[in-house]
Amino acid sequence: MIRRLFIANRGEIALRVIRSAQRLGIVTILGASESDKDSLPARLADEVAIIGPAPAAQSYLDVAAVVAAARAARADAVHPGYGFLSENAGFARDLAAAGIIFVGPDPAGLDAMGDKLAARRVATEAGLPVVPGGEAADANAAMARALETGFPVLLKAVAGGGGKGMKRVTCAEDLPAAISMAMSEAQASFGNPAVYVERFIGSGRHVEVQVLGDGENAIHLGTRDCSIQRRFQKLVEEAPAPDLPDAVRAGLEDAAVKLTKRLSYRGAGTVEFLVDAETHDYFFLEMNARIQVEHPVTEAITGIDLVEQQLLVAGGAKLTLDQSMIRPHGHAIEVRINAEDPAEDFRPAPGVVTRAAWPAGPGIRIDSHIARGGVVPPFYDSLIGKLIVHGQSRAEAVAGMARALAALRIEGVPTTTGLHRRIMADPRFMAGGVDTRFFENFV
Amino acid sequence: MSTLTPEDVAEIVAILDGTPYASLEIATSRFRLRVARESGDANPARAEWSQEWDYGAPASAMRDAATPGVPVLDAVPDGLASVPAPLPGVFYHAPAPGAPPFVAVGDTVSADTVVGIVETMKLMNPVHAGVAGKVTAFCVANAVMVETGTALLHISPT
Amino acid sequence: MAEISLVDVSMRDGNQSLWGATGLNTAQMLQIAGATDRVGFRAIDFASSTHMAVAVRYFREDPWERLRRVHAAMPNTPLQYITTGMRFIAWQQADPDFMALTYRCLQRSGIGKFIMLDPMHDADAVIAGARLVKQEGGAQVMAALTFTLSEVHTDQFYADFARKLAACPDIDLFYLKDPSGLMSAERVRSLAPAVKAAIGGKSLEIHAHCTIGRGAVTSLAAADLGIVDAIHVGIGPLGEGSSLPEAGRMLANLREAGHSVAVDEAMLAKVSDYWWRLARAEALPPGTPQAFDASFTRHQIAGGVMTTTRRQLAELKLEHRFDEVIAETERVRAELGHPIMVTPFPQMVMSQALFNVIGTERYAQVSDEVLRYVMGKFGRPTSPLDPAVEAAIRDRPRAREIEREPSFPTLADLRRKFGPHMADEEFLLRAVMPSDQVDAMLAAGPSRGHYNPDAAPMLRLLRELAGRPAARDIMVEMPGLRLALHGGAHVA
Repeated sequence: MIRRLFIANRGEIALRVIRSAQRLGIVTILGASESDKDSLPARLADEVAIIGPAPAAQSYLDVAAVVAAARAARADAVHPGYGFLSENAGFARDLAAAGIIFVGPDPAGLDAMGDKLAARRVATEAGLPVVPGGEAADANAAMARALETGFPVLLKAVAGGGGKGMKRVTCAEDLPAAISMAMSEAQASFGNPAVYVERFIGSGRHVEVQVLGDGENAIHLGTRDCSIQRRFQKLVEEAPAPDLPDAVRAGLEDAAVKLTKRLSYRGAGTVEFLVDAETHDYFFLEMNARIQVEHPVTEAITGIDLVEQQLLVAGGAKLTLDQSMIRPHGHAIEVRINAEDPAEDFRPAPGVVTRAAWPAGPGIRIDSHIARGGVVPPFYDSLIGKLIVHGQSRAEAVAGMARALAALRIEGVPTTTGLHRRIMADPRFMAGGVDTRFFENFV
Repeated sequence: MSTLTPEDVAEIVAILDGTPYASLEIATSRFRLRVARESGDANPARAEWSQEWDYGAPASAMRDAATPGVPVLDAVPDGLASVPAPLPGVFYHAPAPGAPPFVAVGDTVSADTVVGIVETMKLMNPVHAGVAGKVTAFCVANAVMVETGTALLHISPT
Repeated sequence: MAEISLVDVSMRDGNQSLWGATGLNTAQMLQIAGATDRVGFRAIDFASSTHMAVAVRYFREDPWERLRRVHAAMPNTPLQYITTGMRFIAWQQADPDFMALTYRCLQRSGIGKFIMLDPMHDADAVIAGARLVKQEGGAQVMAALTFTLSEVHTDQFYADFARKLAACPDIDLFYLKDPSGLMSAERVRSLAPAVKAAIGGKSLEIHAHCTIGRGAVTSLAAADLGIVDAIHVGIGPLGEGSSLPEAGRMLANLREAGHSVAVDEAMLAKVSDYWWRLARAEALPPGTPQAFDASFTRHQIAGGVMTTTRRQLAELKLEHRFDEVIAETERVRAELGHPIMVTPFPQMVMSQALFNVIGTERYAQVSDEVLRYVMGKFGRPTSPLDPAVEAAIRDRPRAREIEREPSFPTLADLRRKFGPHMADEEFLLRAVMPSDQVDAMLAAGPSRGHYNPDAAPMLRLLRELAGRPAARDIMVEMPGLRLALHGGAHVA
């Protein structure tokens, strides 16, 4: 049973984990960098441990520092949030060696899904369709694979994920240069230059399925659609994925559960698919073995607290939920409010927020660590908060989101609020079922 | 009340929505919250509610103030001497509530000057300056719990 | 000395004893469930069919949803359900198939421990109930030895009863249940060993109410015997009074006596703090230590019943005959086979004593409840009824009418009535409760899951102010809190 939980993350997700943990009666210790010691999560946590100076590499990404801080804090368990060390198998192993529970799947599971090629193999073995493509041991192999798959192709880092380090290549001439760039970027970002090749599906929808497992049983909590992305970074997410025939939806959900069971997966995870917007063929992309940024939309339609489920499973309990208890109702949309200037090509705009009026009301949820005086440091991502709106129908959720955005006022840093207002008013978005080309056509 | 949860805020909006009130401000020692509606149009029924939170002093300073005995100033600045608490208890600047303090910043003291009292188990224990000089700063607010050795004030020795 | 564990009764028996069972809703329990799980209790006294009915009727909350969500939030501590065996919410006994379904649903939703309490101490009835529970799941079954003072309820009586039950493989453990708080430390020193000798290796717990100030001392005396494994307690404001001994104080006393209790004291303090803040926020009266009342050990009638009876006599201008009624109560109780003095029996016995005193002759006037009791509808009486009294009671037309009363419908009949597609849990509620109450509960939707005791008074104040807009601007100031409302309608 977990009594003392170390939260190895920051910002809105740290706050989110603290809230659920405190409700369970768990003592929370926030592992904060120097620049986050006055943040709202630091204020609400029961204890704070400084894990290092501001730069992520010396704090949130420093495995030894985080493990040492968790031990010093006598933590039973560590929640890694998302990003940072959340899918780092070495980190999970070091914690296990220190006798500390890692809130997430076991290292073998992280390895299996962290290596995107290995994940494709496991998925194929589980009977899931994968995007045509395959591994490429070196530049020549990549070329051969790309020619085999047919252009356009996507080059992806084997050790990557989260939409980072992906390159689209439209013709063979561009391929050699793209491969070299992709490999060196992969090395720089993930410490592993290996890339693999996938057919680029132009008219695709990014649909993912939330799953929960306890090592034996697994259930799904429905679909999410995250097709609105800029450079593979999600901007708007919704649950359930709109405009899908029931058979396709059921196929995605069953496939996700099958994979989760095959992995004897413990914890919360997300199985990502690419769905062809026309044919509704779907292909496994990757599995994210952590809580995701967009998890609140699933919580809104199911009433389940996913972080609480993570903590219960990590504490050794079996899932008390079965599939029949998951009865989604209504529709939920999330927009990510980033401290970025859309007019300046979304340049991150760190600074101090002088005013933060977030919307409030029935069906509105705010996941944010930023209040008046909140600091957006230059060292981390630019997410200052998530606005989630639930409605009885998609139309109601869209209208509710538009109204909520109208009440949102952040001053002191530029934000993407205006961009989201325009998206909510866009007739194609309002109709639903947009694919990943939406954003480039929209801007 | 240490905080209001998101559910509390939703409840507040639900209560206020049916009333003519346009805003509610709540202030506690831990936070201030303003829940307000602004009508974008002239139509109050279409007004959107918002929540603004203000948490006041930075977390680290609040934590230091809340932790017994942890001084607000971190280390003794160079060239100054610090007067430590001789035993654990509550530190008082003055001999009695409402009375003038024993010393103030800027006062000259000798080693024997009483600069404060530490009250332990209902007994009053005088704290002596220990060094001759000028008082430069208090490290601990009045009526704060201190531990043995906690720095109580800084003196610039003559 | 001994290793003792604690069972927390706050949410059910504490709530029922002190707050009329209507004190707590789902959100208030959910909010503290995780912390309660971490204290290290042996079990949580969580539900009964009364509590489930109150959830539907009073709170419009789904009791199955409450059970599932609380179990999910506290997976490590078994949740306990108390039952007389063959009844679910309705006063009539149901058929075994219906009860089997009830036990299946309860276990599926998260009950891990059942208390079988047969008020008549009918071993066959307890064994039949235990069998049904076990056939539907793996929950523990604890048999109740319900304490009362009477010439038949001797140590030997309880030991014989326990011995019969201990032989049954479906009964896992036992508890000495003292709902009126009558058991003295002296008595437990003879009773507990007699029972333990009869049950052998099976575990024995004690549940002693503090109604006349005895519960804590009796429980401690039981612990000192080294044969009792668990003590039932209530936390903070949900302990003492007519509830169980207060948990924090019991923990300290057990450790003071040298026993080891594997409980997280800091977490217990946290839970206690929550219940205190809730009690203050909702103006619910905390349990307080009670003065010893020697007369109570004689008549065993709870204060509430006494007050009601005295009032009824006053209305008839017969208050001067109150003592006569009390004496008559003891006689009636003996004639009716010594029912234990636990609801509904004290009320039945006392009202019959009242009729006997003020009527033309004894048993000329008999209530329907006494008739049903005599006709065995509550089960087989503990000791034989006085034959003359029984004959006198049965000799009336109303007895024939009651005999002809339809019994509880069979499961098959009920299924036919509600159709084959209704989910089990809704079906079980509709079978025993008025349909408009179940409809209202379903219409209310999922229960709220969050409760903030610190915010509750402020929200209540806000609702009041919102309901009676008195000014354009209102400022409220109290220690630690300032509230300002602006922009209200102008009040002329």
